[in-house]
Amino acid sequence: MFSCWTRRQKANMSKAKATQPQVIHKVIMVGSGGVGKSALTLQFMYDEFVEDYEPTKADSYRKKVVLDGEEVQIDILDTAGQEDYAAIRDNYFRSGEGFLCVFSITEQESFQATADFREQILRVKNDDNIPFLLVGNKADLEEKRQVTVDEAQQRAQQWSVPYVETSAKTRANVDKVFYDLMREIRSRKMEATRQSNGKPKKKKEKRRKCTLL
Amino acid sequence: MDEKDEVRHNVIFVVRTITLQASKASKVAMAQHGLARVLSSQGFDPDNFVSKLCQSGEEELMTMKQKVQMLSDDTAQSLKKNVYKNYSQFIETAKEISILEGEMYQLSHMLTEQKSLMSNMMEMSLVSERAVVEEPVVKEEAEENPEEETRKNLAFLLEKVEGCSSVTEVPGRQLVHNGDLVELDSETFNQIQRVHCFLLNDSLMLASWLPNRRGPVRYRFQGLYELDSLAVVNVRDAGPHKNTFKILMFPDSKIYQADSAKSKRQWLDILEETKKNKAARDKQKKEAAMLLAEQQAAAALSPVEDKKVLTDEDESEALAAMETDFLNADWLQELPEDLDMCIAQRDFEGAVDLVERVNEFLVSCPKVPAVKEFKARIDHRVKQLTEGLMSELQVSPERSLRGGPRAARRAVAQLIRLGKSAQACDLFLKNRSAIIKYNIRQIKFEGATTLYIRCLCGVFFPNLMDTGREFLKAFQEHFGCMSAFVVWAKQELQTFVDTFKRQVFGGKSNMTTIAECIHTVRQSCMELHAIGLDLDCCFEEMLEENLEKYINETREQFVEGIKYRGAEDKWRPMNHLSNKDCNKFLEETSVAGLDLSDLVYDDCFISLTMNTSHFCKTCLSLARDLLSMYTPQLDVLITNTLVEIFAAQVVHMEQTLKLQEFAGERDFIMKNAQYILEVLMGKIEQVYKDKNVDFPPQLEKVNAEYRRLKSLVKTLPAS
Repeated sequence: MFSCWTRRQKANMSKAKATQPQVIHKVIMVGSGGVGKSALTLQFMYDEFVEDYEPTKADSYRKKVVLDGEEVQIDILDTAGQEDYAAIRDNYFRSGEGFLCVFSITEQESFQATADFREQILRVKNDDNIPFLLVGNKADLEEKRQVTVDEAQQRAQQWSVPYVETSAKTRANVDKVFYDLMREIRSRKMEATRQSNGKPKKKKEKRRKCTLL
Repeated sequence: MDEKDEVRHNVIFVVRTITLQASKASKVAMAQHGLARVLSSQGFDPDNFVSKLCQSGEEELMTMKQKVQMLSDDTAQSLKKNVYKNYSQFIETAKEISILEGEMYQLSHMLTEQKSLMSNMMEMSLVSERAVVEEPVVKEEAEENPEEETRKNLAFLLEKVEGCSSVTEVPGRQLVHNGDLVELDSETFNQIQRVHCFLLNDSLMLASWLPNRRGPVRYRFQGLYELDSLAVVNVRDAGPHKNTFKILMFPDSKIYQADSAKSKRQWLDILEETKKNKAARDKQKKEAAMLLAEQQAAAALSPVEDKKVLTDEDESEALAAMETDFLNADWLQELPEDLDMCIAQRDFEGAVDLVERVNEFLVSCPKVPAVKEFKARIDHRVKQLTEGLMSELQVSPERSLRGGPRAARRAVAQLIRLGKSAQACDLFLKNRSAIIKYNIRQIKFEGATTLYIRCLCGVFFPNLMDTGREFLKAFQEHFGCMSAFVVWAKQELQTFVDTFKRQVFGGKSNMTTIAECIHTVRQSCMELHAIGLDLDCCFEEMLEENLEKYINETREQFVEGIKYRGAEDKWRPMNHLSNKDCNKFLEETSVAGLDLSDLVYDDCFISLTMNTSHFCKTCLSLARDLLSMYTPQLDVLITNTLVEIFAAQVVHMEQTLKLQEFAGERDFIMKNAQYILEVLMGKIEQVYKDKNVDFPPQLEKVNAEYRRLKSLVKTLPAS
């Protein structure tokens, strides 16, 4: 009885996969603790600003959005600013297709830390052109600014990525960063499918065997 | 005629009553009286008997009446006795019944417990959810006793999950949490399959549900993921799919759905906590490893060994498939369940037989994972079996202590067969200690110390002896355990002696009582020689201090008494006023062992002072008591005590001899001195002889004092 159920489910799954029309773009929020990764995510997801700060462990969200007339899904992984295991952080990064590297313009250290995050992401993804946005959050707190627009711009240019200043509180540029990143991801994907077709699936099978050993 | 008739009636009545009573009286009493036999015979006709009696005349009638009267008295007496006997028997029976009742109560209690246990077990094995529900408890226990729980948990895994033997082999690994989850497709959130997740303390094991499952195996091993490379993501919003969380294990990321928000929360929290715990442990391990590395660098170990181990493992993996056939024999397959059955039925012998058989079999098997897995299952049961046996021997309040040492024999024998002789020995002796303690507590203190000590010995030493015999039988070939027994016996003796001291020296017992008590214990100690246990010197050593103190105190009192009575001594012969009283006195002294009949004059006078006769009496009884406690260790003390007492008496006599006041009594004093120093000393010498002890030279010297006093008298001026 049970086995039947399982088999049917499997059949369903493969069918579902075959007819799945929607594209999922996987976005990962990285950055030091307290810079507003979760605030940006929640603002984007639910149009609300959460004042209370509670450190995130690792949360994921999914939402249907219309990107340039096409209905897609965005999958956001809101990571912890602090993670004890480097291996686990790598696992987060591996699962992402694009990154929002967030710092707080009111905190110089968080800006410095972006370099480490960038380096790690590049190492894990082994791809210098990975969709990536440098995001300076808390732009509404102009009076407490510690990181100038210039130095942030400079770093962004150096990495050849866009720099955007946002405010999770006022919702300034919140949609922009997510949509910009999704566009980047989309164009990267299109490029990839042009180059090779159906390869990722096979790769997946192989890799899984590795972990078993 | 009327009178005669009345008498006849009366007699008939009396005879009838007596017949009734006599038939009730004990048969022994009946046999002694011919009359009783006649009266209680079956065809006895009272009318006929009385009419015959009436014909023989008044005198005969009177004697008959007397006889009947006597018979009546006797019968009444024996009836009384019987009633008392019956009564005491009744009391005893009632006591026994109350004990039995208590035991029955315990038994029924145990049975209910067992019943609930059984039903629990039934439910456990049929419905896995039970096990899941009880998880938090298991976790707590694991913290208390990690070793134990680890084995239990992993054995549980082996039973349920196919192909996870490699997982259970890691030492220190334990189950933290487990539960059913549904795996979802990470893109579409469609259900893929039902899985069962086992969170171990260092990794997460995934197992899928087995189709066509048979027996206790429910899941098939899917994968094992180290916790430190595992990223757990709380899926906050996944559209219509609630209670999901994601696990990222490179390169896979999987989404699981829990059945409730609570269950999901629990999973996330426990995963987080376990990860933290592991991080802490790893940190410790790293530090330890660094230390070890330093040490190894110093020792410069060759790396060859490691390589060897690796190849071994490879080989064994290759053999694994082949070796599983090994275990396919029917009896082997059913063995774990058979073992469970034996343990549940308390058929310990059968269980141990099975264990021995399987161990013998497994010795010849190569060490492949399948065999190891099987062995782990067996070991798990051996552990249970051992626990069962041990609890059999454990002293617990709900267990009756009225069994003899043979009651423990069964458990002990099986434990020895399982190679747990040390534990068996320890538990057996503890059990015995408790029983001895219990039995001693049953003795009631009835006032007389000697009686109590006799009872105490009657309980303690036979118990010790039984234990010894049983121990020798049970641990025949385990000589290592013998020393444990000896140590135990000494400890028990110590507690016994403590009780003994409290009773004997604690109260105001006189020396005769003490001597008797000590004598009783010594004799009991001697009986222990039969089982090759010699505790004599231990007992003496434990007693020495108290005994010496007591003897010294007695001596001081004695000397004080001599001085006190000496001061009041008027040196008059005893006058008993009448011959009768005098004879009575003589009788008394002869009971004490002194013969004064030669010293009687004028019918009622005895030519010794009251003081002297008193001294003789007490001194002789003291000497007897002391010598009945004699040991070579006490020799000097006893001799000195006697010498000092005599010296004190001599000093008293010498002083009075020198006094002008008693110049006229010198002859009489010398007579007393002669009695004390020659006759009494002779008696004491006899006591020594009776006890087979050499008469000490110091006392012989005392004997010579009489001659010294004699010569002293000559030098004194006449009155």
